[in-house]
Amino acid sequence: MSALYALRYYFFYPSFFVVIIFPGLIFTTIVLLLTIWFERKAAALVQMRYGPLYVSKRVGGALQLVADAIRLVFSEIIIPVEVNPTLFVLAPALVFTFTFVPMILIPYSAIPQSGSILSPYFHIFYDPNIHKGLFIGYFVPYNIILIMGLSAITPVFILLQAWATNNRFAIVGAVRESLLAVSYDVLIVMSLAAVAIEYHTLDIAKITETGIPGIIANPLAALVFFIGMLMATGRFPFEIVEAESEVVVGPSTEYSGLLFVLAMGGSYVTTFALSFVFSDVFLGGWLPLNGLPGALWNSIKAIIVLWFTVFLRAVYGRYRIDQALRGSWKYLLPVAFASLVLGLVVGQLWIR
Amino acid sequence: MDQVKIREYKKETNPFRLFADHLNAVATGLKYFVKPQRITLRYPEESLTLPTGYRGMIRLYKDVCIGCTLCALICPADAMKMVTEGGKKYPTINYGRCIFCGFCVDVCPVDALKETRVHDAVFTNRREMIFWPDKFNQDFDQPIPYQGVVKKVRAVVDEKKGIKYVPDE
Repeated sequence: MSALYALRYYFFYPSFFVVIIFPGLIFTTIVLLLTIWFERKAAALVQMRYGPLYVSKRVGGALQLVADAIRLVFSEIIIPVEVNPTLFVLAPALVFTFTFVPMILIPYSAIPQSGSILSPYFHIFYDPNIHKGLFIGYFVPYNIILIMGLSAITPVFILLQAWATNNRFAIVGAVRESLLAVSYDVLIVMSLAAVAIEYHTLDIAKITETGIPGIIANPLAALVFFIGMLMATGRFPFEIVEAESEVVVGPSTEYSGLLFVLAMGGSYVTTFALSFVFSDVFLGGWLPLNGLPGALWNSIKAIIVLWFTVFLRAVYGRYRIDQALRGSWKYLLPVAFASLVLGLVVGQLWIR
Repeated sequence: MDQVKIREYKKETNPFRLFADHLNAVATGLKYFVKPQRITLRYPEESLTLPTGYRGMIRLYKDVCIGCTLCALICPADAMKMVTEGGKKYPTINYGRCIFCGFCVDVCPVDALKETRVHDAVFTNRREMIFWPDKFNQDFDQPIPYQGVVKKVRAVVDEKKGIKYVPDE
């Protein structure tokens, strides 16, 4: 009996459960596959087509994602002759790892002192800011800074990946990525700084537990963060780095098989992680609930955000790199400054 | 020298108007997403009834043919050849070469050749693509069966959707 209890204890231990199972690797992989299916289906609906259908007609081609996954994972990994094989294999793995690491630091739900299946971990993952436990892989009181810092590392590894593949399309894609990274990081940092000033904290959990969703308290920051998120993860209309018709999926041109899954999945995982941040900060996160149902509710919100970002593929074309830069520096940077001012004012007047 | 006047679309510079345009675009996309207006023809299950006079596969009326060889002479792709069957000349057609120009049908003095409305015949090898007079004599106007029934549909111009498919007959 006690062995069973110990097994349950270690199974639901947040550092394992969060990272590997629920909002972590396994759940993210399933969501990633569903997202790719949804992306194709949504684009097809808007463009008056059917999209994937014949794989399983009864469920609207939903099994297409399984077929895609099998095909992608089991296709041959081709390593070009004139590359450094170690770096060539390592680069996409590093990209995927560092896109995934922020997911460990995002609070997914609060743990009440008793009554929940997660209550045994109340004291281990105790957050002194909100006087509750947190359902989180690793608790840091200043998790906004750490998440932003870790997600800002990713472009470096994308550059490394492009350089390692020794391909001109990849280099062009990497140059585009480096140009874009300068603009989207500023937007994401400024919008989150505005929210942090507004709620007088650098802890995402405290922002959520305040009870006022950020989208009401600071809609400008929500807008800027959302567009920064689109840019950071290469979703339309900012799919400039991967531009399939111009630079042949940019930095991952030379990759095939599992390495391509890692290289391409990276941007989806970043989108999912930033969707969780968006859901926590701007949409109230887990709020009416807590414990495991709260995490489920939070991930439903995050999936809606994620699916909205991929839905935009159907609506927009692709901006040129200069248009994207002009848009971010000329139009969105003033909005970001305005959101900072709004955050200062509202933080002094309303949110204590 | 006169300056050539180039007319350009005026670029929208009002950021609020720009933002409203973006919202409008997303709203339009969402409208299509919620209320899909598909115009895809699901081909193997439903097939389009083609208009009369469609230049599809060609058939021969063996009893009308006078064996004048004009069709074989005019064929620009050398798809049509004449064979002698029981002392009389008949055309054969090789669909591996035919370019569906319809010259043979036009040139036939007795209207022994006719363009059918079928364009989606499938062959499993090249030998099957040569139609000897007996096979050439058969009518083509049959739907190609695919897992049972093929739904014949007709394309109609619709005010809202653009193109709509209605069942034919």
